[in-house]
Amino acid sequence: MAIDTDIVRPGPADDLGRHVAAFTNDNLFTGVPQLLHPPNPYRRMLVPDAVAEVDFTRPLSPAEATGHRALVAHRLLGTFYEADTVLLPEQGLGALRGDFDRFYGDGLRRLREASLSDLERFAFALLDDEVDVTGAWSVEDLAAYFEHAAAEADAGEAESLTAIAAARRPEVAADTYLVQLALDGLTEASAMSKNLGGAFGPEQSALFKVFIDEFGYGVHDAKHTTIFRKMLRSRGLQTHVHAYWNFYLAGPLATNNYYYFVSRDHASFFRYIGAVTYAERVFAPSFVNMIRTYRGVFGDDVDLHYCEEHAHIDAHHGRITRDEILLALAERHGAGVIPELVRGIAEARLLGGWFEQDTAAQIRWSDDLDAHRLPGGTQTPAGTHAPAEGTRRVRVTAGSPFGTRSHDRAVVVTAEDGAAELVTAPTGPSARLARGDAVLVPAGRLYGIRPAGPDCTYSVRLAGPGTTAVTPSAS
Amino acid sequence: MTIDLRRHNTVLAGDDRYFVFLDDGRARLVPDHCPHRGGPLSLGRRTADGRRLACPWHGTRVGVAALCRTALPMVRTGDTAIAVLPGPPAGETGETGQAPVPVTVIHRHILANLPPEAGEGTTDATA
Repeated sequence: MAIDTDIVRPGPADDLGRHVAAFTNDNLFTGVPQLLHPPNPYRRMLVPDAVAEVDFTRPLSPAEATGHRALVAHRLLGTFYEADTVLLPEQGLGALRGDFDRFYGDGLRRLREASLSDLERFAFALLDDEVDVTGAWSVEDLAAYFEHAAAEADAGEAESLTAIAAARRPEVAADTYLVQLALDGLTEASAMSKNLGGAFGPEQSALFKVFIDEFGYGVHDAKHTTIFRKMLRSRGLQTHVHAYWNFYLAGPLATNNYYYFVSRDHASFFRYIGAVTYAERVFAPSFVNMIRTYRGVFGDDVDLHYCEEHAHIDAHHGRITRDEILLALAERHGAGVIPELVRGIAEARLLGGWFEQDTAAQIRWSDDLDAHRLPGGTQTPAGTHAPAEGTRRVRVTAGSPFGTRSHDRAVVVTAEDGAAELVTAPTGPSARLARGDAVLVPAGRLYGIRPAGPDCTYSVRLAGPGTTAVTPSAS
Repeated sequence: MTIDLRRHNTVLAGDDRYFVFLDDGRARLVPDHCPHRGGPLSLGRRTADGRRLACPWHGTRVGVAALCRTALPMVRTGDTAIAVLPGPPAGETGETGQAPVPVTVIHRHILANLPPEAGEGTTDATA
């Protein structure tokens, strides 16, 4: 995570591993001491030590969709994709010109180009296992399936919003959710823009109508990103790209990256259309629910213009994308493209579930940290913890770069020397770990450690199956 | 309609029956109806070459590829599948006035998904 004293790093076993290692060790991606990233869109912490643990020869399995390996891969992918968009800091390029040149420059671009397809396969091949479309499909079947999926979404509860409403610290929980939306909200419709070129008839024009809404008809104050930033500002949150990089979870990263994935490769165009149609259809009711939840948490102390805009305009977008794009493309191009349109709907539905489940799990854990403290601190009661081998010790100072990570299995984090702060949410106070304090970090949960004083040393070891928290969770 | 593939493998829709047929690592919802005399193909066994199903009624060989082409539209996501059945959805009336049929999902023993029987003959007529 930061200064890593006794980790034995496996050497990259393949070309993808080598390229990724070279990329992540670039100075742009090794982090800063602050929790939040400064207003510099070219620098983002990729946690090279955590990247070095990943075997890139073995693609993610469906069970790992929101785990540690997924987090590493999707941070990389997100950085790769955004390097294919134009990012400029609001304050002007000024002293960041060197970072701009490096971020978009030949060296990193060659590494991206050499590894992007392999990294996409690593991250998204699991979709081939998870989603399968069979049978002979007609346009009517497509419409029937779409309505079924939409009705299912309408009837279901958003797990994240439920977790916010149930949280002890609902403000912190609501900020955590908002930060996940910032991933897309601060660069909204960038993936969609990649599907606007070329020539594909009336459906192209219909897609452009959706796009121009996203961009506020060319009026910057009406651009969705602008009104999203108003919402962040009303909560006292930072509004630059990507201040909260360290707090993006694997599920939301995967969801955001998926739209780039199926937009970059136009062989996946019909999948993209299925996915974006589903997303636009379910956005409107989901933002209505978000408004209700956020009013319940913050009252009038939050600007929800962004949610209100989406609750309104996405009702139109849902209709436009369904009638004028999805079904129109199926009618025009025939049964051969319908399974791909269906697949896009199914994949968007699946990824939306990952977003919700991952975010809700983080909210619940972060909200209930005290229940995850372990009895006896560093003591290891017989049979409750795994043997000490494999324990990794890390020393961090106040000047160490701050990063967050997760693990594919539950671990016990212990403050060995000096006091530490356990950071699990973008806002709210962090949890203090005095010397000897230990906490259980469930598989997939995001956390970061920084010293409470000038420095500290903490250890990370696998939690045994009998590891139990000091008090049962009340949530 | 939604099918939990861990628990169910057969769909009863009115008088029609469909079963989840596994081939080439994929699950398809196909009619449980031999084109010869309507025998239960789900109880048929694969021929030794694995390319056909032998109907248990009259031994008619039905090509696996042909059977797959009759599959209903279905999306599998993990262990759950959503299939689009013929006719209007439950609670709705079709454009021609037909009423929706009752739909049930059950689990049955599907012999068609077992490996081919050793030494099984291949001389009967094919469908």
